[in-house]
Amino acid sequence: MSTNVPALLELQLQLRQALLGGNASELVAAIRGDGLAPSARLAIYRHHAVATLSAVLKGTFPVVCRLVDERFFAYAAHEYLREHPPHSRCIVEYGADFADFLAGFEPCKGLPYLPDVARFEWALNASATVREVVPLPISALEAITSEKAGHLKLRLQPSVSYFASYWPIGAIWQANQENEVPKVDLASGGTRVEFRRAGDAVAWRGLDPGTFAFRAALADGLVLSVAAAAATEKDPAFDIAAALERVFAVGLAVAFTESRTGTVGP
Amino acid sequence: MSTQRNPPPPTLPNCGTGIGLRLPHAAEIAAVRPRLAFLEVHAENYMAETVALEWLLELRRDYPVSIHGVASSLGGAEELDRIHLGRFKALIEQVEPMLVSEHLAWSAVGGAYLNDLLPLPYTEESLDLFSRHVTEAQEALGRPLLIENPSSYLRFRHSTIPEDEFLAETARRTSCGILCDINNIYVSARNFAFDPIAYLDALPAEAIGEIHLAGHHVADDTDILIDDHGSRIAQPVWELHAAALRRFGLVPTLIEWDTNLPPLNVLLGEARHAQELADVHQCAGAA
Repeated sequence: MSTNVPALLELQLQLRQALLGGNASELVAAIRGDGLAPSARLAIYRHHAVATLSAVLKGTFPVVCRLVDERFFAYAAHEYLREHPPHSRCIVEYGADFADFLAGFEPCKGLPYLPDVARFEWALNASATVREVVPLPISALEAITSEKAGHLKLRLQPSVSYFASYWPIGAIWQANQENEVPKVDLASGGTRVEFRRAGDAVAWRGLDPGTFAFRAALADGLVLSVAAAAATEKDPAFDIAAALERVFAVGLAVAFTESRTGTVGP
Repeated sequence: MSTQRNPPPPTLPNCGTGIGLRLPHAAEIAAVRPRLAFLEVHAENYMAETVALEWLLELRRDYPVSIHGVASSLGGAEELDRIHLGRFKALIEQVEPMLVSEHLAWSAVGGAYLNDLLPLPYTEESLDLFSRHVTEAQEALGRPLLIENPSSYLRFRHSTIPEDEFLAETARRTSCGILCDINNIYVSARNFAFDPIAYLDALPAEAIGEIHLAGHHVADDTDILIDDHGSRIAQPVWELHAAALRRFGLVPTLIEWDTNLPPLNVLLGEARHAQELADVHQCAGAA
């Protein structure tokens, strides 16, 4: 390796620091003026990095932006990207830990539901971009004996995810789709929702506690008997057979694994 | 998941004009099937099982596709990101593109991806490093690459090699092709007061595999030109393109438009204009 590679690495680390709002004095000395202050030249790149990364966040978290207003969002986004620049080269994957950042961001402490709004929007966005695959018909389970049924693990649609919050996040999100935001009663109860891509759009819908516990457990890769126990704990009258049939009827299941026998299905 | 192999892409005698495919235009392109020589996509937007990929796999049945990488960071001082190259290769295998390209730039260091095509100092050391990375990337992707000249807003004091020479030497050492971005040459030439025609003349004509055309704007409080892919192609860029046609002959030519996306018709209008210039060039050559 060439002896000057560390020098190039040093230069690139300095430029990274300058783009993310850090000290640029050493770097400025390495830049030709060409009729303009080197710091002004550097500012063009800094502006681009901050503007494009902030725009990515704003595109993913529009309701968070609306709740805190544009100026505050720009400030929060800037602080976030300084501390958490993207790791993935695929920029649509940026912002996965923005909600965690907001949870620890002192100026947001007055809005305790804000991190969960961000989690909701992240999940919504993730569902919107993922392709659905061909669902499995319930007839695929015909050969499964009832003793073995409890050990089944279902794989659900890749676009599906589950989200629960102490706060009425669904109502907050919905209210912020309107021009005139109606009042949301923060004490109106928590949120349990399913996200799923449906056709060309993404849908989310509230689930009752039993169904939520059942499907969320399946999505976590738990076997059917454990998912059933989670559901009946929330709702003693929960009808497992009907719930399982419904999972297939709405095309949620795409494959299943029988314990210790590997994946079956397409 | 279907394991069925994709049908082979159509083959065209491909020196025509294409446009960048952006998701908001995909449904209209699929419905209208405008006459275009190819579609180009940014590799990183299609590396997951997304709706965007679904559209691309549908459109590739009717259009040859060019895959343009923006984040491989071939000018990065650290080792190449093998995970990223693996995702890139998987996309290439799925789409079977007619061209694959990347940039003379870097964009990641110390685990941070900076979402921009950042400038290199043009020194012997960076030429060695960049050429080695181009060779490694070509081996990892199993394809020759076209390398695009960047637009730039700053130059380093310790640069010793003119950019056109740097690019020509990279092509000589690695057998890569060159993606000649006419707007980038114009923007950098204005920003640093060099002769854009001399830049074209310094590139090896036989290495030019594609041309990019795009818009730019003047920065607010300076007279720096900013390459933004967000407006119509400026008249002086069309004129430089005509000079490029005379120098390089016909090569696949792309209309790039990534920000402030206009209706599809505006892009198609720019593509028609580029095609008219190509046709005029061809007639002049035949006469």
